[in-house]
Amino acid sequence: MEKVRNILKKRVVILDGATGTELQKRGMPAGVCPEEWCLKNPEVIQAIHREYQQAGADIVYSCTFGANRIKLSQYKINDVKKVNRDLVRLARSAVGKRALIAGDIGPTGKFVAPFGELGFEEAIKIFKEQARGLLAGGVDLFVIETMMDMQEARAALIAVKEISDKFTIVSMTYEKNGRTLSGTDCLSALITLQSLGADAVGCNCSVGPESMLDFIVKMKPYAKVPLVSKPNAGVPELIEGEMKFNMTDKEFAGFGRGFVFKGANMIGGCCGTRPDFIRKLKTKISKQKPFLPCRDSISALSSVRKTIFIGKEEPLTVIGEAINPTGKKLLQKELREGKMSLVQDLAKKQEDAGADILDVNAGLPGIDEVKIIKRIIGRLAVKNRLPLSIDSVNPEVIEEALRFYPGRALINSLSGEKRKLKKILPIAAKYGAMIIILPLDSKGIPQKYEQRKEIIEYVFKEAKKLGFTKDDIIVDGIAMTVSSNPGAALESLKTISWCSRVFKTGTVVGLSNISFGMPNRSWINAAYLAMLQVQGLTMAIANPLRQELMNIKRAGDLLLGKDKNASVFLAHFSKVSTAEKEKPESIPLDQRIFKAIMEGNKEDIKDLVKQAISAGLIADELVNKSMIPAINEVGDLFDKKEYFLPQLIASAEAMNAAFDEVKPYLKKEKNGKAKKTVILLATVKGDIHDIGKNIVGLMLKNHGFSVIDLGKDVSAKKIVSKIKGCESYIVGLSALMTTTMINMKEVIELAKNEGVDCKFMLGGAVVTKAYAQSLDAEYARDGVEAVRVIKKLSE
Amino acid sequence: MVTFFDQIKVFPPKERIYSRLGYAKGITRLNPEQKDKIDDYIKKAEELIDLKGAAARILIVKIDGSRVELGDDIVFESKSLGELLIGCEEAFFMGVTAGSGIVKAIRDNFSNDDATYAVILDAVVSETVDAGLAWIMNYFNRELYRQNKQFTERRFSAGYGDFLLEYQKLICRRLELERLGVSLTEAYMLVPEKSVTAVCGIKTIIRK
Repeated sequence: MEKVRNILKKRVVILDGATGTELQKRGMPAGVCPEEWCLKNPEVIQAIHREYQQAGADIVYSCTFGANRIKLSQYKINDVKKVNRDLVRLARSAVGKRALIAGDIGPTGKFVAPFGELGFEEAIKIFKEQARGLLAGGVDLFVIETMMDMQEARAALIAVKEISDKFTIVSMTYEKNGRTLSGTDCLSALITLQSLGADAVGCNCSVGPESMLDFIVKMKPYAKVPLVSKPNAGVPELIEGEMKFNMTDKEFAGFGRGFVFKGANMIGGCCGTRPDFIRKLKTKISKQKPFLPCRDSISALSSVRKTIFIGKEEPLTVIGEAINPTGKKLLQKELREGKMSLVQDLAKKQEDAGADILDVNAGLPGIDEVKIIKRIIGRLAVKNRLPLSIDSVNPEVIEEALRFYPGRALINSLSGEKRKLKKILPIAAKYGAMIIILPLDSKGIPQKYEQRKEIIEYVFKEAKKLGFTKDDIIVDGIAMTVSSNPGAALESLKTISWCSRVFKTGTVVGLSNISFGMPNRSWINAAYLAMLQVQGLTMAIANPLRQELMNIKRAGDLLLGKDKNASVFLAHFSKVSTAEKEKPESIPLDQRIFKAIMEGNKEDIKDLVKQAISAGLIADELVNKSMIPAINEVGDLFDKKEYFLPQLIASAEAMNAAFDEVKPYLKKEKNGKAKKTVILLATVKGDIHDIGKNIVGLMLKNHGFSVIDLGKDVSAKKIVSKIKGCESYIVGLSALMTTTMINMKEVIELAKNEGVDCKFMLGGAVVTKAYAQSLDAEYARDGVEAVRVIKKLSE
Repeated sequence: MVTFFDQIKVFPPKERIYSRLGYAKGITRLNPEQKDKIDDYIKKAEELIDLKGAAARILIVKIDGSRVELGDDIVFESKSLGELLIGCEEAFFMGVTAGSGIVKAIRDNFSNDDATYAVILDAVVSETVDAGLAWIMNYFNRELYRQNKQFTERRFSAGYGDFLLEYQKLICRRLELERLGVSLTEAYMLVPEKSVTAVCGIKTIIRK
């Protein structure tokens, strides 16, 4: 461990280049197990290791990327330990003590729970087995690399750290968009992995140096640990049947200085790079000073897809409190039955309302709290983006939850009781969680803030022994209810103020306690929140669905300079004001109806029609002079592509709504005329794709036609028998597939054979005008054209 | 062996979704409110999609003109598939479903007067399912590259050209798609409707 750290202090550590592509270049056949092939051809892998070391690599990776139980079993190899041990020994004998050997651990190829079928503890077991083999071979450090699943990376890191204290690198693989294939961004990965104990974090493979440089830039300001970069030799290209990376060694090395300048501390190469790449890279950066990690601690929480920063300079962080069964009978019932739909619903509503973190509590008498909280964590990790706060008084629950949670979580909470400190602090340290400190001890909650200070200082002293910093803790101001203790609010304010200004930690308050037992509680909560924000409050446990609270928070952030350019405040209230904006009363109602159809404004149109009728406008004129011209113009704009499908449909829906409203006032003959032609619509037998047919139906209804929709997968027999029951009819048939299009012919032939004289219109993705004509039918490309065709046929 | 993916994380390819809905860059006029609303619908659609998938690598036994014989006693008669797989050692089957929830949402919204939402949902899910196939190929690409192999540039789905739709049955069975809640109609259509399967080849990378 010290060896690597010592080099890192002085200079950038040079890592090796590609192993897999190099083995292929040197004769490893396609499709074989690389680990087995190397054991059978030791001179090849040893030459690669040696050449990288001679090129200047400080660290070479053992050829054990796929030497885990799952991958090896695909080649019917069972002795995982021996394979790993022997491959490390080959590396050692190749490079001796001239380079360090990193035991290379790659992915299993399976996604780990909650994201996949491989159990989390099973994954840890698999990686431990491999790590033991690597240790037996004598590795100097570990590298967990090319991970795309955060939970798999965590499993591997926990496995290694539970059996060894050696320096461990964790390197994820990101697509060009800066996310892994499973959606994790590089910042969230960094926060999660460095808090879980990774000694260096970074990225390898998937992209060339240009894209990877961006990832380093994004991570560096938040990195407590050295950053690692191992890009590919550019992008693979197929040139004259040969797969080649598009970058030369010189071009690749040309990025070296940029990587060091932006903050990479360990640099090497991945697919396509060769010893010459590493040699040139080393030459380029050998005299450059390293950009060491710029921070020792960070107040941030992460999920697999999001990071939240907490602090005085940040906007107030809202912890949504709704996922807690206390006093919620329906949630209690669902949790007892093991159902998660309400949990999911509560999470989504809180996220939509502006929560930054979700508090999860599964404390319910008579249930297996560990099992339930893990299910909640699993569900939320998959479906939601927000980091979690683990809310429990049970150390076992906290431990299991932190172990399973695929991010950096917050523990809610830890009091000054010695027994709890002893149990919970080591757990929090192991999993790198942040902690809410509750300033109470076995004697209860001190009334005065001076006594609370003592507990806070004591808990922090104990936490510091395990490596915690003030960035890792949040102090709870404990808001007691003012109905029983009028001085309670002031004591909490003093606690928050002291923590913020003197002790310099983050703070939190559970807002709803303060008003317990009082009427109109929301006003008390809102006023209290504003006061707390002035005292420096950084987090609030609250109900984000309370608009007054969230608006006070937004206004407070703005007034305290935490909302740069007022962008959050303005964005929020511009949406509200758009929705509430005044209606242009000065424009005549018929024109407003025309405009509402043009803009697809179905929300306002019914009201406008009502107003128009009340104001004495004649219904028939409204239809003929405003509504139909509007929908016709929409059709024209759609034809010219100035409108696209959502606009066409929105206008059609607005037209429909208006028509429903105006219908009772239309002259009878108008109503009667519109009903004369009946249109039968069906998607033919065998085909279940009916969105196009549904759009046609909607458009026809808009133009006053009576539509009978027979649905999808409808037999010829059913269609023809339905036609027989109508007086005047046109039939529209749709099909998406070439295999089902032929069933249109069957319908038309059956109709002819049964002597039914009727007109057909055909449409669908694969149907052409020529095909329709061949069946003596009309063709319509889309909903707008269908209206024209039907109008023509019904004349 | 079939590899199952219980959670495929694909970000809806917005440009393709807009294009599928008929948006023509520089021609279609869209005001900011309409755009916000459509983007909001796309975001909502993403939440309804439960993308899962399955994939399997199958050895090619023999290709004789249009007759393609694969391991596990799978035989296809398709000249175009045979041409695609020429020079490949393996065939790669893949399947993706967006689940039944989104299909129900499309149907419900169409019949409950929110057809705009329904057509956007339809476009989002269609493009996302396609992106799901690309995701699976991307996932396997890393493994293939380390084995000195690569996918063919094109992939085929049953029902196109001379690769008959009825082969959907063989593909579904081999991928055990019923584990993902996918079944076939009598006419070999996949249910839920927003599901797809495809076949491509795996060949050794030529190095000079």
